[in-house]
Amino acid sequence: MRPRRRPILASGEAKRRKHHPDYWLLVISIVLMMIGLIVVYAISPGLSVQKHVTENYYVSKQLIAIALGVFTFIVVSNMSIQTWRHIERPLIITAGIASLAVRVIGERVNGAYRWIQVGGISFQAAELIKFALLIWIAGFLSDRIRTGEINDYQKSFKPLIIALVLVAIVVGKVQSDLGSTGVIIAIMGTMIYVAGLPLKKLAVIAGVVGVAVVVLVLGSGYRRERLNTYLNPNQDCLTTGYQACQALISVGSGGMFGLGLGRSVQAYGYLPEAANDSIFAIFAEKFGFVGTTVLIALFVAFFSRLKKIIEHSTDTYSRFLVTGILAWLSTQTIINIGAMIGLLPLKGITLPFISSGGTSIIFVSAAIGIAFQVSRYTTYGLITNNDSEGNRNDDSFSRRRLRGAYHPNSGSR
Amino acid sequence: MRLPHKQISSDIRSTTIRIRFWYAVLLLVMGVFIIRLFFLQIIKHDYYKKVALQGQLKEYEIKAERGIISAHEGKNTIPIVLNETKFTLFADPKFITNHDSVGIALQQIIGGNANDYVTKMKLKTRYSVLAKKLSKEQKDKISKLDYKGIGLRDESYRTYPQGQLAAQLLGFVNEDGEGKYGIEQALGNDLKGVPGELKAITDAQGVPLVTNTDNIITEPKIGKRVLLTLDISMQKQVEDILKAGLDAAKSKSGSVIVMDPNNGAIKAMANFPSYNPAEYFKVEDGNVFNNDSVSSPLEVGSVMKVLTAAAALDKGVVSKDSTYNDPSFYNIDGYKITNIEEDGGAGVRSVSDILQLSLNTGATWLLMQMGGGEINIKARTVWHDYMADHYRFGRLTGIEQGYESEGVVPDPIKGFGLNLQYANTAFGQGVTMTPLQLAAAISSVLNGGSYYKPRLVDGLTDGAGVFTAKKSEKIRSDVVKPEVSRIIQNLMEYTVEKNHNIYGMPVLRTQYGVGGKTGTAQIHKPEGGYYDDKFNGMFTGFVGGDKPQYVIVVRVNEPKISGYAGARAAAPIFSNVTNMLIDNFGVTPKGQ
Repeated sequence: MRPRRRPILASGEAKRRKHHPDYWLLVISIVLMMIGLIVVYAISPGLSVQKHVTENYYVSKQLIAIALGVFTFIVVSNMSIQTWRHIERPLIITAGIASLAVRVIGERVNGAYRWIQVGGISFQAAELIKFALLIWIAGFLSDRIRTGEINDYQKSFKPLIIALVLVAIVVGKVQSDLGSTGVIIAIMGTMIYVAGLPLKKLAVIAGVVGVAVVVLVLGSGYRRERLNTYLNPNQDCLTTGYQACQALISVGSGGMFGLGLGRSVQAYGYLPEAANDSIFAIFAEKFGFVGTTVLIALFVAFFSRLKKIIEHSTDTYSRFLVTGILAWLSTQTIINIGAMIGLLPLKGITLPFISSGGTSIIFVSAAIGIAFQVSRYTTYGLITNNDSEGNRNDDSFSRRRLRGAYHPNSGSR
Repeated sequence: MRLPHKQISSDIRSTTIRIRFWYAVLLLVMGVFIIRLFFLQIIKHDYYKKVALQGQLKEYEIKAERGIISAHEGKNTIPIVLNETKFTLFADPKFITNHDSVGIALQQIIGGNANDYVTKMKLKTRYSVLAKKLSKEQKDKISKLDYKGIGLRDESYRTYPQGQLAAQLLGFVNEDGEGKYGIEQALGNDLKGVPGELKAITDAQGVPLVTNTDNIITEPKIGKRVLLTLDISMQKQVEDILKAGLDAAKSKSGSVIVMDPNNGAIKAMANFPSYNPAEYFKVEDGNVFNNDSVSSPLEVGSVMKVLTAAAALDKGVVSKDSTYNDPSFYNIDGYKITNIEEDGGAGVRSVSDILQLSLNTGATWLLMQMGGGEINIKARTVWHDYMADHYRFGRLTGIEQGYESEGVVPDPIKGFGLNLQYANTAFGQGVTMTPLQLAAAISSVLNGGSYYKPRLVDGLTDGAGVFTAKKSEKIRSDVVKPEVSRIIQNLMEYTVEKNHNIYGMPVLRTQYGVGGKTGTAQIHKPEGGYYDDKFNGMFTGFVGGDKPQYVIVVRVNEPKISGYAGARAAAPIFSNVTNMLIDNFGVTPKGQ
């Protein structure tokens, strides 16, 4: 056998035996995506009339996106977690180039450069940046923890601040995408926080971010307007507050049980972005309070699976990866739903799984693939002191159903 | 380098605690969301339902199709006013992004100016009309482009297969779908039908959603179809004759009415100048919309003498053989009444001379006979009774036309200088009437004494296809006695017979019973008195064997031709109309 490169692992190598993955994670993901597909299917005829496209345009688009998502999931879920460590640099470089490229070959949509057109396929650069940054930070943090330099100002704190500033400039300023910037900051913040950065340093970062947000918001007319809209959504339904107002009308008119799947009215040109950013409001109109509660419960169930994977993961790098995924998807969910129910300003952030949109679904699928793969190498119980104090062999008995003893990384030892 | 296990595990423990805390915050947020949703969807549901319906539920009027208008052509009826769907192009500026390219594309398809379209597409509104009355082909081309924010709405317009024919009589339909002038105005309520109503939940563009089954619809009721009494081909020829006659007389305007004296039906009613009702909005002078035959009363001049004679004969104060000694002028209240037309000089005159020579003194003498030899209150009252009650001057005829005018008959008792004024009315000055009123009155005198309400409508067909004929309405049957009717017919035939050369009728077809009387009417100055050099030419007559079949009234405004306007300008038109009727419209010769 030729010698393998030793995996870069912080801890718990002994437990990295493959067992069956977290199928619940997959089931919940599928259910959520199906809900999205059904809603898109139901409003597709109405939307197609409004947008002058063929009747099945939105459904076929969504089906293609889901097919690509399934493919992505199958590929990613069969990739070794360590692969991501090897491609984190090319990934972040690609993301960097893509985010600058939007300015050059990008398509201007609603006054902002966020999309790249490659051979007829639109691609939202911010989704790649989020994903690449998540991978990079997971590697960065697990390295710092391994070397014990997590509290080192020069080695940990400074690069992160630089990354943050770069994101703010590239995504926030160049792409005028404050929503995605917020999501990225939330991903980074959560990962750094979970990595154990002292709260004092976190507070400094939070302060920097806070100042940056204020500067960005006050420095841009349309953001000021949006803020006003947020503070006063019912003031003017026709102009700036239109989408926020229509979203509230959609949600509110749903009532207890909703108008029914095919009976949504707001999707017929009243509520902008009905298939994308505003899809939650359409869902709420169709299925009412019962539906929204079930949907939120499904999201919570999905997040709890991720949390469980994090808690049971023995490998620091995997933990950070899944933590990043959890932070990413939950932040988007919060920002999206929060805007639809008038608690947060509108930010143009998609609702994971549900919103129509290929880029989002593909990266979400990739993220589930990673979490799914990580879930194959969790321990049954929580990691305790015992785990690391020589009782790791006991653990092998209490492991959940073993699925083969061989693993390319751990089996060669 | 490997770290000691202890440190690693403490890191892991710390991350576990932190992730749990973080997760707790996430759950808290989700909890807040559920509470907020409960507030929005349960507590405020009624409010949002109401707000939603305010935006979504729209009421529409479904326009009813306007009834078409037809007329006779020989034994057939053919439509002369139809409906046509054309398209209005509008923009919702909110959705338009590529103004310039849309503007240029529209210019290529429908003409106009791209910059104008761009300006209209940038207006701060949600509905900006870019163009109207586009054809189906233009509409299809624009639809194919599939521009966002550009829409087309179909609208019904009146179309006129006969072009300008009978334009003033028909009237037009304005932008708001209201009938203006003519038949369109007078029968507007019948023609327009009953609009339907639609209450529906619609999309943001206002298109009712098919998924919604609770739409409330009342179907519109189609407007009634109108069948006119007109004969298209007669109308055409009369219009042509009028136009040619006015040109020959160097007159700018005039009218001709052809009426069936035996039932009041108008067979032709022509005015010049006219306009194209399909392009009514291009008309600069609004007066051209008026149907002068019913809307513009005038002093008719000597044609009135026929009616004065009929009244005197009917009253029995003169007979057809009566004669009188014409002094060539009368002095009434210090004013001299002279003969301004064919001057016969002083001498013994008969009743037939009064018409044939058109003697003002003769008409004055007739009026005097009604007062027992002088113009007095009795003469005035009797004559007023004939003018106002027998001949129905000063009253609306009730013809199916917009803006009918009733004219003025002076009061016989109240006022100053009434004797002079009444002497004038005896030969058609100082009293005004429309050509239609005159035609109706002459008809009643000629048909044996029955006044038929003049009408343009033969009947209405409702949406179910049921035709309701409009019957002739006899207002009174004792306008004059039947024998007076025959005398007048003979007198008028005699007048034409004697004067046919002056009237521009070289060949008189006496076997068809042609009779008539000229009128050269002085024109009243707005400030009082009469113009010395301006006259209106009038002619009223009939054609039709033993019994008049058609009564004709010709009016020529201010001809510039030399000679008496009635004889030189109006009579030739009458002559041509008469010949046309004899040739094409089955006038029965005498004795058949």
